[in-house]
Amino acid sequence: MAETAASPTQSSAEQNLSARVSPARQLAEAFTAGSLAGTVELSELPFLTMVGLRADAGSETAQRLAAATGGLPAASGAVATTGDTSVLWLGPSEFLVVAPTEAHESLGGDLIPALREALGNDAGQVVDLSANRTTFELVGPRVRAVLEKGCSLDLHPRVFKTGTAFSTEIANIPAILWKTGEDSFRIFPRASFAEFLGRWLLDAMREYASPEVP
Amino acid sequence: MLLIPCPNCGPRDETEFHYGGQAHVPYPENPNELTDTEWSRYLFYRENPKGIFAERWVHSTGCRQWFNMLRDTVSYDIQAVYPMGTRRPDLAADPAVEAGTASTAADSTTTGTAAPSLSATSLAASPTRTAPEGATK
Amino acid sequence: MSTQHLPEHPDFLWRNPEPKSSYDAVIVGGGGHGLATAYFLAKNHGMTNIAVLEKGWLAGGNMARNTTIIRSNYLWDESAAIYEHALKLWEILPEELEYDFLFSQRGVMNLAHTLGDVRESIRRVGANKLNGVDAEWLDPQQVKELCPILNIRDNIRYPVMGATYQPRAGIAKHDHVAWAFARKCDEMGVDIIQNCEVTGFLKDGDRVVGVKTNRGTINTEKVGLCAAGHSSVLAEMAGFQLPIQSHPLQALVSELHEPVHPTVVMSNHVHVYVSQAHKGELVMGAGVDSYNGYGQRGSFHVIEQQMAAAVELFPIFARAHVLRTWGGIVDTTLDASPIVGLTPVENMFVNCGWGTGGFKGTPAAGMTFAHTIATGTPHRLNKPFSLERFETGALIDEHGAAAVAH
Repeated sequence: MAETAASPTQSSAEQNLSARVSPARQLAEAFTAGSLAGTVELSELPFLTMVGLRADAGSETAQRLAAATGGLPAASGAVATTGDTSVLWLGPSEFLVVAPTEAHESLGGDLIPALREALGNDAGQVVDLSANRTTFELVGPRVRAVLEKGCSLDLHPRVFKTGTAFSTEIANIPAILWKTGEDSFRIFPRASFAEFLGRWLLDAMREYASPEVP
Repeated sequence: MLLIPCPNCGPRDETEFHYGGQAHVPYPENPNELTDTEWSRYLFYRENPKGIFAERWVHSTGCRQWFNMLRDTVSYDIQAVYPMGTRRPDLAADPAVEAGTASTAADSTTTGTAAPSLSATSLAASPTRTAPEGATK
Repeated sequence: MSTQHLPEHPDFLWRNPEPKSSYDAVIVGGGGHGLATAYFLAKNHGMTNIAVLEKGWLAGGNMARNTTIIRSNYLWDESAAIYEHALKLWEILPEELEYDFLFSQRGVMNLAHTLGDVRESIRRVGANKLNGVDAEWLDPQQVKELCPILNIRDNIRYPVMGATYQPRAGIAKHDHVAWAFARKCDEMGVDIIQNCEVTGFLKDGDRVVGVKTNRGTINTEKVGLCAAGHSSVLAEMAGFQLPIQSHPLQALVSELHEPVHPTVVMSNHVHVYVSQAHKGELVMGAGVDSYNGYGQRGSFHVIEQQMAAAVELFPIFARAHVLRTWGGIVDTTLDASPIVGLTPVENMFVNCGWGTGGFKGTPAAGMTFAHTIATGTPHRLNKPFSLERFETGALIDEHGAAAVAH
């Protein structure tokens, strides 16, 4: 967690960061307590850099944005990853760029200025959405069972492939679900839904703390 | 619960969508020239068929795109999905269209895959920029 | 196999006559409104050579599917007048129809959960008082006193910030209401014809002169449409359009419980309304399903949301079991008010658009619609509820008072 005590040696960017409170900060201890090592673990990855892009697919604008991000995904579920920057498909002309915290403009990152420059004055959007959503990481062999309690997508690995992401509903709230590995998902709920979804996931995980009834 | 075949994302639960009422209701060219009767028709009168209904839906928690759909208001079978701004498909003329019922599609429990079966839903091309017709015409 | 004889069938309350070749008036739809219309045509206007045509069985549509709430606390003068008239008729009908249909004036509460709700509710209480409708504003503590099982704590998503309360409001046994009207209609000579579906209309120019049915053609001088969710279908057969949309509306009951719920509680904001029927089952309704539908069924997530709302408001319900759920087809208008009056077809009259609130209006709908059919002009009470209001703009917007389900 980004809980670094402020000290005189910090840069102003670091001080800014230490003053921020992530949307699910109040659940950090509960996430630790509710996580089951080797079964299913939940944590918040706060303050990832997220940028909303809108541009007509195939347009010159989209091509310039693609050049800046390293590529735009083409269809539902697709994620275009280059280095530590990923672009998720949200709609035919809407994308979400996800990058590490330090990619943010306020911390000296050049991702957002580069995208803004690529858009220029053309029709479209480059919007800093870093504060719009937070990120939950759910890992472990039981993640699918936990998510299946509140997500109607088919999460079976033969259908839901590693490296794909879908905008859908989890526990009746809108969220983006990104399968980052065989047994790991990132979930992006809106900041205002973070506490609800966090508590819902803890509740859904709870049964796996007990030994399985044969 | 309807299982609605989004043209961009594939079949998804009805809760991910919002209903937009009757499709193909153009905004009058010259509202000021309409009589009160004509204006009331535009404002308050919509088709209410017992049978196939052309209606608009938006995939609000998915791709956020509007599309048109032909649905049977008795059986709730979805007969066709087609882009905003295109003409209502003629079900009788194109039997293939009728294969697009959401409730019986073989992949009805899968997620939206990268290539949802557009042919079964009479979609010639993926819609690009779409908006409710009433708002743009 | 049992050799015992079945018990004697109780007396039939109405005949099952064959349709005659002609009637003075034909009412299409044998639900509450159709039967009430026939009753008042016979009683108030002496028209007894009339028929009520029902495509299924008597009172098997919305009359069998509603949640039986009766109240008159509507905002506008026009609505207060007609719904309050209905309530006054409800108060005398058990005696007049010689049938105790368990009209129970246990009061109805409309909860307010937001400051907007509070403002709208207090405004409506004031409007009700001006119109002679009994109405009170209750603070949360008073709400709790009247209905102790309600959760009025402020730590829930939509806390109870107060409620409007109409003491004279309540519930009635819907089947018995239909049977009471049907028996009196039958006694006065009205033919109630079940399993008789209207398939078209005979017209002479712009005038209706007959009804085509699956049991033959019936000549008639006047036709009254009382078909709720199917009104658009009939209007189309007759050659005109109605500004209504048919939606599924769902309800459910729990298994039987000891009396726990003393009144009727409605919440527009979280979309649930609950009463406890005489037998003991909890009767709950929700909002309409968003899409148009004639399927008499809706989507399960609506039931789920309705249950979530109910359990938050009534924690005691958490361990109750749902016995069954069902759906009806409601005919909604853009101003959440009914249409009772003339149509573009001469001698054809329409009573529709009651949306989710038709049961409470049954007696007044019948009385005013009978007047309209018999005299050819609307009664003072239904005059504002004409089809023309959608052209003149004189809408009667009752989304605030009718809001649970629209």
